Amino acid sequence: MIEVENLTKQYAKGAVVTVVLAGVSFRVAKGEFVAIMGASGAGKSTLMNILGGLDTPTSGTYRLDGLDLARAGDDELSRVRNTKIGFVFQQFYLLDRIDAVTNVMLPFIYADGNADGAALAGKALAAVGLGGRARHRPSELSGGEQQRVAIARALVTDPVLLLADEPTGNLDTRNGLEVLAIFQRLHREGRTLIVVTHDRAVADHASRLIVLNDGRVSADEPVAQPRDAEAGLRRLEAEAAAGGPA
Amino acid sequence: MHLSKNAVLSCQILAAHPLRTVLSITGVVVGVSAVVVMVSVGQGAERRILDRIGRMGTDVVTVNAAPARLMIGRQRTVATVTTLTVEDARAIAENCPQVTAAVPAVSKSFVVRWDGTNTTTTVIGMAADGFRVRNITLASGRPFDVEDDHLRRRVAVIGPTVAKNLFGSANPLGREIRIGRVLFEVVGATRARGTDANGVDQDDMVVVPLGTAMRRLLNIPYIQTVYVQARGSQWMDRVERDVRALLRERQRLADGHPDTFTIQNQKTLVATEREAARSMTLLIGSAAGIALLVGGVGILAVMLIAVRERTREIGLRRALGATPRDIRAQFLVEAVLLAGAGGVFGVALGLVTTWAVAGLGAWDAVASWPAAALALAFAMTVGMMFGIYPAQRASRLEPIQALRSE
Repeated sequence: MIEVENLTKQYAKGAVVTVVLAGVSFRVAKGEFVAIMGASGAGKSTLMNILGGLDTPTSGTYRLDGLDLARAGDDELSRVRNTKIGFVFQQFYLLDRIDAVTNVMLPFIYADGNADGAALAGKALAAVGLGGRARHRPSELSGGEQQRVAIARALVTDPVLLLADEPTGNLDTRNGLEVLAIFQRLHREGRTLIVVTHDRAVADHASRLIVLNDGRVSADEPVAQPRDAEAGLRRLEAEAAAGGPA
Repeated sequence: MHLSKNAVLSCQILAAHPLRTVLSITGVVVGVSAVVVMVSVGQGAERRILDRIGRMGTDVVTVNAAPARLMIGRQRTVATVTTLTVEDARAIAENCPQVTAAVPAVSKSFVVRWDGTNTTTTVIGMAADGFRVRNITLASGRPFDVEDDHLRRRVAVIGPTVAKNLFGSANPLGREIRIGRVLFEVVGATRARGTDANGVDQDDMVVVPLGTAMRRLLNIPYIQTVYVQARGSQWMDRVERDVRALLRERQRLADGHPDTFTIQNQKTLVATEREAARSMTLLIGSAAGIALLVGGVGILAVMLIAVRERTREIGLRRALGATPRDIRAQFLVEAVLLAGAGGVFGVALGLVTTWAVAGLGAWDAVASWPAAALALAFAMTVGMMFGIYPAQRASRLEPIQALRSE
């Protein structure tokens, strides 16, 4: 479903040319849960921007769901972002002044047709366990809840790819595990997910790990024994129960 | 993009920043209300001028015994011409078919005295039917009649300004006043008429019979003015033509020789005055329009701040599928919404102010709906104009940089 072939990205600043991606190739099949790891400066943000249609590569090919996006124009990329990709960001990026359900409906403003945004948004919120919080504003929600609203917003258009950039970076362990548990459930339901992270513990929840190093893929292998976020949550509960009252 | 859905969202976002929103539209509110008030006051002034001219009689053509020169847009007679006579007035009345009356008149400034007080005023000598033709009505006493004129009786009808200057609040009827060295009996007092189209106080005058004025006061055989009344205002131009032809014939003026007299058509005067009032309305309206334009700068400033502050929102919207065009449209719509809201409040404020002004009686003011509609449309255009640049800036932001900004 995703074909990345010899992707490069370089920035020229005056005479200095910085190579960020130096020929990256991989394929992701439908239904895979892939983590992309790498130290800062390894090029994972740039790769994520290109995969998300927010940036275009200097050379190479990138096909998503049969569309060649390496040479796509601004309007086509906007369309692809709207219809095929759901973004989850580290900082949630919710609009503070409007309630959760309106935030989740935001993609429909830029969509063709007349989907019943409110109904779909309500369903998406229910799917992340926030059915009762639809009328709350982001400021009235915890960080974990805000990120779940953002996940609902990413899923509301039923995209072929869910793309998450450090989705647990601003969350505590417990809320992070909750987000990862949602991701694992989506994976079981057959959705394709790519999570970009620098955190090994997060990456271990995926089924496949791609490691970037200096703009190249240095490792690409299945995760032997993916961690189970639900189990992690139960363990956390147990520890709290044991250590709490004592 | 679903513009209307997004406009609803924009309203929510703008409403969430009440102070900023209010500040941004204040200029437009003031500008629009200024336009509405100014135009309303201007149109009030216009109506007042037309009313005043209407009171003077819209069916009167004035003949003056002197060639005219235009001075500051108004006709003023120059030099003394002695060729116009009472016979000319009679000839006009008899020979021009659409003329119902021709009133010969003279006037001169005199010192008028009574019991130690004196005042300088215009003394008008005119035929008795001048009261009817010139729309001069009496508050008390009687006008003089044809017999008074024939017998050159020393009777006078005085205007309210003269009455006040000479007698204060006392009743002037029956008093003997001295015009120059001649004694006159006050037989009537006119109703207040205010100022005429040239700004002259029409109440500062003494009216006496024409014959008395010519023989006893001025000692002249000629007259200065003929007030010619047409059968109806639709005949004004015809009457003006006829009178001109007749007078030129009577005075034996060769073709090409300029007129030795001036004809003032009340209709032309109305047109001129209306024109002047219109220009005035337009001028102050434009001044208010400039205020409105300045209001647009307020929107520009606040929109620029908003674009900067909402950079991450713009990045997010781009990530969710907004094209640069969509972003530009959003901020343009927001600018027009702001200006439109300012316009609506401005019109409301302007109309309330207009009614207050009219109610207090300080000025005549006629609430002008076309001006209100125009000001509102202009406000929205201003919002659009001043929204273009911020919207353009917003649309040019790269999504990645926009998302990363703090």
